[in-house]
Amino acid sequence: MKTQKENIRTRVKEQYAEAARASPSSEAACCDDNYSSAELSAIPTESVLGLGSGNPVRHADLKSGEVVVDLGSGAGIDVFLAAGRVGPQGRAIGVDMTPDMVARARRAAESRGIANVEFHEALIEKLPLEDDSVDVVLSNCVINLSPDKPSVFREAFRVLKPGGRLVISDIVQEHPLNLFADGSSCVATAMVRADYLEAIHASGFPNVEILDDKPSLQDSQGVAASAITLRAEKPAKT
Amino acid sequence: MKRDLMEILCCPVCKGDLELEVDVEEEEILEGKLICNSCNEVYEIKEGIPNLLPPDLR
Repeated sequence: MKTQKENIRTRVKEQYAEAARASPSSEAACCDDNYSSAELSAIPTESVLGLGSGNPVRHADLKSGEVVVDLGSGAGIDVFLAAGRVGPQGRAIGVDMTPDMVARARRAAESRGIANVEFHEALIEKLPLEDDSVDVVLSNCVINLSPDKPSVFREAFRVLKPGGRLVISDIVQEHPLNLFADGSSCVATAMVRADYLEAIHASGFPNVEILDDKPSLQDSQGVAASAITLRAEKPAKT
Repeated sequence: MKRDLMEILCCPVCKGDLELEVDVEEEEILEGKLICNSCNEVYEIKEGIPNLLPPDLR
């Protein structure tokens, strides 16, 4: 018997595998006018699938030499943008559970000879990274799909170095929507805003700063869901 | 997968240290295995991509 968690993961994997096989131009950008043409022209075209809800790299203040991990990296767009900012001494690592996405991202890196990126098959609730090992955790419109969001935030906190930052874009519900969670409908599997922010707080991040906030779905009660970008820091050791 | 990534990789399940076994290496490791020193789980590296999914999700 499959658990509900497994069912959600299976559906998400199937739908994203299909997206990974699409050609970049045929894929309608679902939420994406988040990237400038300068940003898009600096990265492989095939890494752009239009599946994001924001532009976390722009808010992450990445510095040369930093190590960045992108949770649910898909075709790699945010990994490639981050790689450009951290430079040859830095490293941008994408983790994703969908093999077709990981393979697509890696092919894009290989074809351009981009050496400071890595793509791994892994679960964002069970990261294969040591404690205190990365400077920045990014994620773009992925955590909403996780059947266990508190684990994702706990893992992000664990792998961050003291003083490291979490910068994520995601969808949150503004009131409980009780939609049928049909796989990768990002709104259906999203958390209510207050619970989402509380889960981040509970994982150890003392403050959460909202950097971008825009409505993404309306219903009879007004705004039903929003696309937010937020930043939180792991406290530095004293 | 680049060899120097071993510094920060660990077992996704028990967080133990991983040992690297290389079958094919060019500028990076293309084929091989990552073996957990603590729980003995084996993670394959194929075509440069390590599969670090927990065993029940592969």
